[in-house]
Amino acid sequence: MGHIEFHQVSKRFENGFEALHRVSATFEEGSMSFLTGHSGAGKSTFLRLLLCLDRPTRGQILVNGINVTQLSSSRLPYYRQHLGAVFQDHHLLSQRTIYDNVAIPLRVAGMKERDIGRRVRAALTRVDLLSKERLLPAHLSTGEQQRVGIARAVVTRPKILLADEPTGNLDPQLSRDIMELFRQFNQVGTTVIIASHDRDLIEDMGERIVELANGSITRDSRGPAAQAQSDTLAVT
Amino acid sequence: MARKLKDPWPRQRVGLGGWVRDHWRIANEAFSYVSLRFGTSLLVWLLVGIALALPSGLYLLQQNLADMTQGWEGRPGLSLYFEPGVEPAVLAAAAQQLQDRSEVAEVKVIDQAQALADFREFGALGDALDILGDNPLPASIRATLATDATLADLETLARIAERGEGVTDVVLEKTWLERVIDISTLVTRLGLVLGALFALGAVLVTATSVRLAIEARLEEVRVMKLVGATEGQIRRPFLYFGALYGLGGAIVAAMLLSAALLVVEQPINHLLNSYGQGLELSGFNPIFLVALLVTGAVLGVLGSLLAAHQRLADLAIH
Repeated sequence: MGHIEFHQVSKRFENGFEALHRVSATFEEGSMSFLTGHSGAGKSTFLRLLLCLDRPTRGQILVNGINVTQLSSSRLPYYRQHLGAVFQDHHLLSQRTIYDNVAIPLRVAGMKERDIGRRVRAALTRVDLLSKERLLPAHLSTGEQQRVGIARAVVTRPKILLADEPTGNLDPQLSRDIMELFRQFNQVGTTVIIASHDRDLIEDMGERIVELANGSITRDSRGPAAQAQSDTLAVT
Repeated sequence: MARKLKDPWPRQRVGLGGWVRDHWRIANEAFSYVSLRFGTSLLVWLLVGIALALPSGLYLLQQNLADMTQGWEGRPGLSLYFEPGVEPAVLAAAAQQLQDRSEVAEVKVIDQAQALADFREFGALGDALDILGDNPLPASIRATLATDATLADLETLARIAERGEGVTDVVLEKTWLERVIDISTLVTRLGLVLGALFALGAVLVTATSVRLAIEARLEEVRVMKLVGATEGQIRRPFLYFGALYGLGGAIVAAMLLSAALLVVEQPINHLLNSYGQGLELSGFNPIFLVALLVTGAVLGVLGSLLAAHQRLADLAIH
């Protein structure tokens, strides 16, 4: 349930700037892809359109065959509950503990506190931060904060995980660790799309790379890991 | 035939338990938020309290004036004067006609002889009437209104009585009561106007305070939107803030009114006793207090809805 299609999608802002121009791309369920390009190429706009934080000027975005650009405002929340999103600046609430930050999506979904506790601790274990669940975000390093953001994004077990420059503030080793974390989530069937300008890092990952320039796709290549995965998907 | 796609993102059915749990958690959070900022909250409570106290005080005053007009012994009525030599049967028929009306409590017939006797008893010019020979005093009927009758009833009754056989004059006895009722009407209308203005003031004070709370929690609102919170879920904490501000304001208003009543009760009693009228100030009872608290909470919620509508409707997530 994580199949994504962009059909001739354009986005022009009120100031006249066209961030995306007739972009078409397909992301198979369970795939892992990187969006890359210079600043202003359209990577973030691409993800924001997928999250329905903005509406495209034209074109269709199909998720599991449904055009999400036409979702009503009353249905949008339920769509977003099935997505996980990670941002460069984490969006962590400074007055809440790590536990409470990760618990937010589950409380929004109306889950019982006992189940929330189980799920939050499982997510924090995955990102190796269980011992810090009672701390405030300010007491964590930048890398740890980013891992909390990832834990919050995956705690609802979304079918689609989106990340916008998740390693922007991290050193190379931490960046690699974070990317490996994303790969682990992808390996359990989550469709992962990551926007990053760190070319070396994403080339090393060997996954599909979609390069944007001036709002258009200029390259769409699959690395060895992506090839292997698509072979596996083809066999199954 | 095209197959309809199954909704992959169905509306979550939280259930009553989940709903109650969520409200309880948010109410607790709102209470903590308001308590932790006690200085700011106190200021809001005072402003809302003053805004609620004045119209509530006028309401109490109006209630007491209404009680006073109902309990006043010299209730209004009318006197019908008849032409000289009117038949006793005509008088009796007119008296019965008045007595049959629900708005009339008591009817007293004073025939010409009784009028003369009363005049002799109370007047200093009794002997002078003997010079005239015939009794010049008219027969009359005095009708007293029932306690639940209104001034409009009195006017209606007078119009009917005027058309009665042999009636030459109808005199309404209502001046004092009219004044009190005029004052009561003025107080009611003043209360309504001030009530509306001060209620608007309370709503705006709460809206401004909740707006500040929203600004302080914008990041949380953005995260909530991002993870799929509904508009209702996003608004909910702020509605609780508004309700708490309104409730606190109503408690302050009740305290202010209580203090004001303590201050004015003694001089008012003294004044009314000097007119031979005993009065116990009423209306400040549990029902009034509950109504005040509910009004405060409702105004607070209205203020927070206004603030939420202004600030959250098109909030962008960066």
